[in-house]
Amino acid sequence: MHSRTVTWSLLSALLLLALPWLLPQVMPAGQAQFWIANILGRAIVFGIIAMSLTFLATYGGFISLAQMMVAGVAGYTLAVFAEGAVPRIVGGLGYGAAIPLGLLAATAMGLLVGAISMRTRDIYLLMITLALAMGVFRFIETNIAWFNGYEGIRNVVGPSVLGMDFRNTFVFYHVALGTAALLYIGIIYLVRTPFGLVLQGIRDNPRRVAALGYSVALHRTAAFGVAGFIAGCGGVLSTIYNIGISPGTIGLGGTVNVLIMSVIGGLGHPIGAFIGSLIFTVFDTFAATIYDRDRFNTLIGLVFLAIVLVSPDGAIGIGVRLRRLLAASRR
Amino acid sequence: MTEPAIRLRSVSRRFGALQAVRDINFDVMHGERRAVLGPNGAGKTTLFNTICGDFPPTSGSIAFFGADITGLKPHQRTRLGIGRTYQTSLLFNGLTVLENLFIAVRGLRPNRFSFLRPRRGDEAVAKARNLAQRMRLDHLVDAEVVNLSHGQRRQLEIAMALAGDPRVLMLDEPAAGLSPGDRPELLRLLHDLPRTLTLILIEHDMDIALPAADIVTVMKDGEVIVEAPPDRIEGDPVVQSIYLGGGH
Repeated sequence: MHSRTVTWSLLSALLLLALPWLLPQVMPAGQAQFWIANILGRAIVFGIIAMSLTFLATYGGFISLAQMMVAGVAGYTLAVFAEGAVPRIVGGLGYGAAIPLGLLAATAMGLLVGAISMRTRDIYLLMITLALAMGVFRFIETNIAWFNGYEGIRNVVGPSVLGMDFRNTFVFYHVALGTAALLYIGIIYLVRTPFGLVLQGIRDNPRRVAALGYSVALHRTAAFGVAGFIAGCGGVLSTIYNIGISPGTIGLGGTVNVLIMSVIGGLGHPIGAFIGSLIFTVFDTFAATIYDRDRFNTLIGLVFLAIVLVSPDGAIGIGVRLRRLLAASRR
Repeated sequence: MTEPAIRLRSVSRRFGALQAVRDINFDVMHGERRAVLGPNGAGKTTLFNTICGDFPPTSGSIAFFGADITGLKPHQRTRLGIGRTYQTSLLFNGLTVLENLFIAVRGLRPNRFSFLRPRRGDEAVAKARNLAQRMRLDHLVDAEVVNLSHGQRRQLEIAMALAGDPRVLMLDEPAAGLSPGDRPELLRLLHDLPRTLTLILIEHDMDIALPAADIVTVMKDGEVIVEAPPDRIEGDPVVQSIYLGGGH
């Protein structure tokens, strides 16, 4: 069972790595490029942000609506400091320094969100994280001197990787894929460490964790810090993907989209974030052509409703049930 | 060791107008197995909680091997060596048996916060395995707790209470909700605990309390009514009137 999981993971990793060469074999080159960049690349980047929410929800039982905002903090930090961004606000830093600075800012913001929401649970945690997200969103939107207000900051083109241009679709795709894989492996490692086990203990029984002598506050805040770092990675990549960032990215729409991705993918396992973001991105991209240009949101809403009604634990839940059915019919 | 493991001197606990426990005196000697018996509402659980620290007594004093612990917090008492189980199971359902025990073992050690996985041969993991073995859960170490039977959950509760190497182990109704088939197994486990461990168990079921104990304290309406060895309890007229009804 365990070795089969490893085999499957390796096979799917190889398939994902080879997709930029496989896709042009089955479709025209232009279309293949569109799929790699605008569907898969985008799905991976948003999957990373959704995974930061999934991590908190799956292992800590915390539903945070602040994750898109935290990603935006990384994106804005990058855009403010990176050389070449338009308009120039601080500038002067190469990407080698501006990106780590962005990740640091997102981690700090994650820790802050965790510290502020420390004593809340369930619906109250949801409300306080939403309030923080909207507060930062409005602050950025109305602040022209630091964040160029409504227009945002453009021309964040990204670094060159090993001498290759980040704007190259394949380079971006592979960097995003590699980042997602590292973060995913990191989470899988982390949840079996004392920190991860205590986090799951807090999810199951916070009173007992405290009675055993652990600091619930410390572990909770640290979990939000880890989630902040993950969201920050997604925020940096999405800012480079969009060649800039504007307040709209981290508004209520973006916040809700990340939640929708996590829920349709399934909150039971971090991989659900990527499944959810892929489903979301496909419908977000093609709904206008499939259904009706003016009503594509209706289609997305219906798909969301259908998945949640059929399977409250999202696409992962559907997969698990299908596998059980298959196993039962084979017997 | 002449000091009793637990000594209660005129311990009372009041909740508003309700006098839950009144002027209790008792000594539990080192290595003794004491059962506290009584009908519902007799004050057993309140007494238990004054010893564990959840509800400190409103008056009176509690000593642990001669040291006054009346004002200590629950986790301070845990670290001194008072282990306890809970009446309603407080396990981590999403984790495995071994992980539950591992958390319990590490909670009592320094460097509790760590981002690194335990290495091969980690002391805390070894201890968690050993606890599972002692409570006959070694075949279930990798099972998720949510899938355990009620009896197995009780075994795990006791194993977790033993994680801190307590000198006194407090069991709050260990047989509550157990099927008749699980009861002999529980008795055997209690019997196999080392005799150096002082045991205090709250129980309203005589079939568990009597065989497991050296001395039985019977409570009613917040007071101690009888204190005697188990063989004298069943025949005691006061106990009979409590348990079989009758004018009391």
